[in-house]
Amino acid sequence: MNLSNPVVVWVGALLLTLLFFYGMDHFIMLIQGLPLNFDLTPAQ
Amino acid sequence: MKNLSLNLSLNLSLGRQLLLALGLLILLPGNVDPDNGFTLLNSASAAEADSVIGVASMAEAELVPAPKPGRGDYPSVGVSSRSVVWVVAQMHMFFAAFVLAVPLFVLVIEWIGVKTGDDRYDDMAHEFMKISMTAYSITALFGGALAFALFLLYPQFMEYMMRVFGSQTLVYAGLFFAESVCLYVYYYSWGALRYGNRKWLHLTIGLMLNAVGLTLLVIANAWSTFMMAPSGVNEAGAVTGSIWEIMKGPLWNPINLHRFLANIAFGGAIVGAYAAYKFLSARTQEMRAHYDWMGYTANFIAILAFLPLPFAGYWLMAEIYAYSQQMGITAMGGILAWLFIVQAVLIGTILLAGNYYLWSGMSRTEGSIRYTWMVKYIAIVLVAGFLVWVTPHTLILSASEMAELGGSHHHLLGPLGIMPAKNIAVNLMLIFTFMSFQIYRRADKVATVSWEKAGNALMVSIYLVAIANVIFAGVYYGYFTNTVYKVGSSVMQVVSTLMVIVSGIVIDGFMYKGAKILPSVWGRVSNRAQYALFALPVAFTWLMALMGYVRSSVRTHWHVYTVMKDNSPDNYIPTIGHAGNMMTIVTVLFLLCVLFIFWIASLANTKQPPPAPVTSKPS
Repeated sequence: MNLSNPVVVWVGALLLTLLFFYGMDHFIMLIQGLPLNFDLTPAQ
Repeated sequence: MKNLSLNLSLNLSLGRQLLLALGLLILLPGNVDPDNGFTLLNSASAAEADSVIGVASMAEAELVPAPKPGRGDYPSVGVSSRSVVWVVAQMHMFFAAFVLAVPLFVLVIEWIGVKTGDDRYDDMAHEFMKISMTAYSITALFGGALAFALFLLYPQFMEYMMRVFGSQTLVYAGLFFAESVCLYVYYYSWGALRYGNRKWLHLTIGLMLNAVGLTLLVIANAWSTFMMAPSGVNEAGAVTGSIWEIMKGPLWNPINLHRFLANIAFGGAIVGAYAAYKFLSARTQEMRAHYDWMGYTANFIAILAFLPLPFAGYWLMAEIYAYSQQMGITAMGGILAWLFIVQAVLIGTILLAGNYYLWSGMSRTEGSIRYTWMVKYIAIVLVAGFLVWVTPHTLILSASEMAELGGSHHHLLGPLGIMPAKNIAVNLMLIFTFMSFQIYRRADKVATVSWEKAGNALMVSIYLVAIANVIFAGVYYGYFTNTVYKVGSSVMQVVSTLMVIVSGIVIDGFMYKGAKILPSVWGRVSNRAQYALFALPVAFTWLMALMGYVRSSVRTHWHVYTVMKDNSPDNYIPTIGHAGNMMTIVTVLFLLCVLFIFWIASLANTKQPPPAPVTSKPS
């Protein structure tokens, strides 16, 4: 992976951030007893 | 254990209580075991029981219910007792907030001065303290007036509060003396303890001053929160718990945090106005530069403390709802709900003024040209967020207006009146305010680290994903799921905003370490920016008056909620118009006092030139 390539840097940063916030959303709802499905809909 | 603690409490000296009360500062969290040493503070009914000393009589005294005063038990002085207490209490709160807040950031500024070796920080910290010195005396005057007014106009209520809090009130008085001693020593020893080890002694005195000040704050907060959500008493109001159980009610820590942050923001705004006043009246470039820097620092403090404030407010409201849903609905869904629209206007004013000041301040450095293109987009988001926030949900309409509108809610604007829309608006406004901060801080720097581009990519990604998350959580969970998810998802929004702020500080902290600094010209800022600094304390003061009124009014016709009824002639929630007039009167009164303080602070530096020598005419 070429880290000097701007496309790699930007896509990598975006994916990393998306992954972090996705996990954060699940965690925040889970600790409130409100688990989510994979698509972030409320678990039935 | 309880009897033991009662016995111990009888033998407890005032000095010991003082030390224990100071310890509260360190042990604030509510997870302290009530059976531990804090029960030693138990004064409960002890001090207010009759003079017969003994455990048995103390136990009996504990079961005395709250008084039930009738209408005739309230003395009348010819004017509304509530109005008198309202004005005096609010004035005391304004000044107390100011004098407790200023030493907090003064200590930090002084410490930065020591670490950097830059005397400008020390001079600025000293000047900030000078402003608060006059305010301190006025705080005490209003505090005394408030105590007299309460004992005169609400004697049964005060008798009950004295019974509940007992000797803790003496601890408070003792702390007030300690605060005065620390304050005067801290201020007047500034020059004598300026360098070397002496400076560390001075910083320690400042730390003690703040420790005492914060302890005073949390004790006074306990009185307010006891009135809203009493704990340590039974249904009839008889004291059943220790002083610690009485203090650590469900609203105590939310109020502690909220007032701590709000006081700093308020104090920063007031000293910012002082700097603006001095900037506009400066006659030399050197003075303009000094007061420009002072104004910038004050605005920095005010906005930085203000950013997390809505989250502290959110926590407080959540705890109010958890304690009593009825109380929460009275605040946000009943007669007081419209005041939250006024709150939105005031907070919007604060954010717009704070941002405008930062944008104006970017003119101090040429490096800002790299970021000025962003300002218009930030402004659009702030204005749009402001408009959404002030959109009311339920309108008071006539039949014809309702027919014209097609219902009680507007078909397009109605959905913007509920919390999910406002949560999105508030969080976006905070995120974009932080963006203003970040570009301002970056304006005079050029990063020299090799990973600058990757760091910027990460920062931009965090902004984009956080904004998307705030909007997604607000729209999807706010409008298309049930209430439980709606409330739960608001935490996602809050944390997203906090992530932006924290990651922005961390990334910039590393990225601009050892950065190339571009020249900045302090004093090169428009006069208009100074008026933004005047707008901040006006809006903050009004906001404190407004929300202080809401916090107090949620008790409706109770002195102490569900425990002691208010049977005075003023035991009703006044009209919004009347409340608005009262808040305005007290705000204007406070601002006049602030102008007086600024004048006094300036007067100290004014020296009359010596008279010209009289020359006798030759005869």
